[in-house]
Formats: sequence, structure tokens, C-alpha cells
Amino acid sequence: MDPILFKLALGGMAVLGCIGLFFGIGLALAAHKFAVEVNPKVEEVLEVLAGAQ
Amino acid sequence: MQMKKKGVLFPVVFTIIGIFFLAGCGSEHRFVKKTAFKDANSIVIEFAGPVDEEWAKNSGNYSAFEKPDPDIQLKVKNIVLSPDNRQVTLVFEDDLNSKEPHMLTLNNISSEGKSLGTAILSVKKIYLGYLFSILIGAMIINNFVFSKYLGLCVFFGTSQKKSTAVGMGITFTLVMVVSAMMSWFLYQFILVPFRLDFLQIVVFIGLVSLSVQAVDTILRKVNPALFKAFGVYLVLVIANCIIIAVPLILADSNYNALESLMLALGAGLGFLIALFLMSSVRERLELATVPPTYRGLPIAFVVAGLFALSFLGFSGMTIF
Repeated sequence: MDPILFKLALGGMAVLGCIGLFFGIGLALAAHKFAVEVNPKVEEVLEVLAGAQ
Repeated sequence: MQMKKKGVLFPVVFTIIGIFFLAGCGSEHRFVKKTAFKDANSIVIEFAGPVDEEWAKNSGNYSAFEKPDPDIQLKVKNIVLSPDNRQVTLVFEDDLNSKEPHMLTLNNISSEGKSLGTAILSVKKIYLGYLFSILIGAMIINNFVFSKYLGLCVFFGTSQKKSTAVGMGITFTLVMVVSAMMSWFLYQFILVPFRLDFLQIVVFIGLVSLSVQAVDTILRKVNPALFKAFGVYLVLVIANCIIIAVPLILADSNYNALESLMLALGAGLGFLIALFLMSSVRERLELATVPPTYRGLPIAFVVAGLFALSFLGFSGMTIF
């Protein structure tokens, strides 16, 4: 195969990986910063319910 | 609730108007005040001071071409100088295509015996009007729902009540603008330079879900009341195909930042208009006597078809 294609593919993986990592970290930070405290009882009650829907 | 919405909307509108004014300013050469198209085959150049008649009448000093075709030089037929020597009208042999910007070169402008250097100018229609025409075009003339038939599932799903329709429309516009601007930026400055533009769909889908997730996370904390009003629609936005169509159109037609903003805003507002119109009719349909076979979705499709027909009346319209 043409080495240029390999270069393109590897470069693409690297670039898209970087973009993904960047936005992933960004989202994680945002989720951390804008975290909303949820009453733990809500989860407990949901656990007990049947939860078909 | 009503107050909150107003408080958000006004700064946004003012910022957009401000950007418009900024975009309208700026000239490329200090001695040239204004360039504009006139009639079908003329360009008018206004200078800040009087130019020498000898220089102005020499057609060798002017060269002009359409921006996409630099090798086709346009032939100047006639040059008209105004009595105060401040305005030159170039009349070309053929009609000009004023939809495309034209590049105009003025060699060695000479005024009162002094040379003021060469000016390379671009002549185009008023940019503000162009931007406005993109906005109106995406909003009404080429409405994404009624003339491109995109985003129909969400359109029928959320147009049963006026309140849900407006909520969905506003949420959609917000996410649309955010994600379209991000994908425009990534496409122009990352995908194209690295020759990865064949991956555009993958990247755009990722960006749409990213912006939905980001708006969801941030809004939940910053404005819980608005978040509750948006509710499920925020997640539904991902399932809408207009939101992926707009970045693809932007990538295809090489728009710049402001033009992209206008197209995204137009697409969002167009969807809002479509939803509002549809929900107004469907609220009335609840009270109408519809034959049992047509009740619900079938009659909604018939109504949407009628809307599409009436929107056909806008087709072919051009503004500015």
C-alpha cells in the first residue's frame, strides 16, 4: 500500500484521538464543576421499584 | 420564567447586531472610500480625494476579474469620471455576475500629481444584506422542514401542543448554533488542513452529542427552571437530522464564521417557525371532526403537506 495512505490514517487516528480526549476531559471537568447534588434516597427508591419503564 | 427568557435573549440579539456592524466596516485602501456594483455591467469607485483625469481615463490602469476565476480578465468598455474627479464608473463589455465578489486592481493611483500606490479591492454586494439573505433563506425560503423534508420525526413528535413546540424550537436553536459553530471551526481549521475531511460525518455526530451533553450538564446547574422546561427535548435534539445537515452544508459551501452563524440561526429559527405553525393547527384539529381513519398522525401529515405547498410560494425568491 501507498505509504501516504498509512500516514494519513495514522495522522487521522492521532488527530481524532486528540480531539476526543480534549472534549472528553472538557466534559468531565464541566460535569464535575456543574455537579448537582441528588438526594441519595431517590436512587434507593428507584432501585426498589420494578423499573420496567 | 418569562423574565428569565427575556434576560437571556436581549444580550444575544445585541451581540449579533454588533457583529453585523463590525462586519460592515473596513476598506482595503486608504484612498478608496467605497466600491459598489451599479446597473448590470458597471462598477462605481469613490475616492477620498480628486484623482488625475489622465490617470483615470487610462483603461490600462484597471484590471478586474471575478474572484473564482482569476484568469478571466473582464474588459473595460468605457470609463466615466464625475465632474469633481472623485468618482469613477467603469463600464464593462459584458454583464457582471454581482452574486460573486469581484477583485479590482487599480495601478498606481495618482492624485494631484502624487502616486498613492496600487490598490487591490474586492467589490461585493453589501455584506449585511448577504448575511440577512442567508438567514431568511434558511428560515423561510428553504425551510428545512417544509422544503427539504428534514427532521420530520421530531417535528411530528413535539408539535402536539404549542408550549412543547416552542420549548423544543428554542432548545433546538440553541444547540444548533453551538454545534454548528463548533463543527465549522473543527472542519475549517483541523479536518481540512490534515486532509481528514472524509471523516466529517463521524466528527459532526460526535460534536452534536457533545454540545447536547454540555448544554444538559451546564443548564442543569445554572438554570434548573429552564432545564425543567426543556426537559426531554434536549435529548431529542440528537435524533434530529437538521442538526447534522447544517454542518454538512457548511462544510460543502465553504462559508465563513458569520455566514455559518446565520445559516445555523436560520435553520434553528425556521424549525421553530415550522413547529409553532404546526402546533397551532394541531391544537385546533383536536376539536375538529376528523374521520376516524385520519385521526392523529395521518391528518398531521396532510397538514404538513399543505404547509409545504404554501411554503413553495417562497421558492425562487431572492432578497437583495
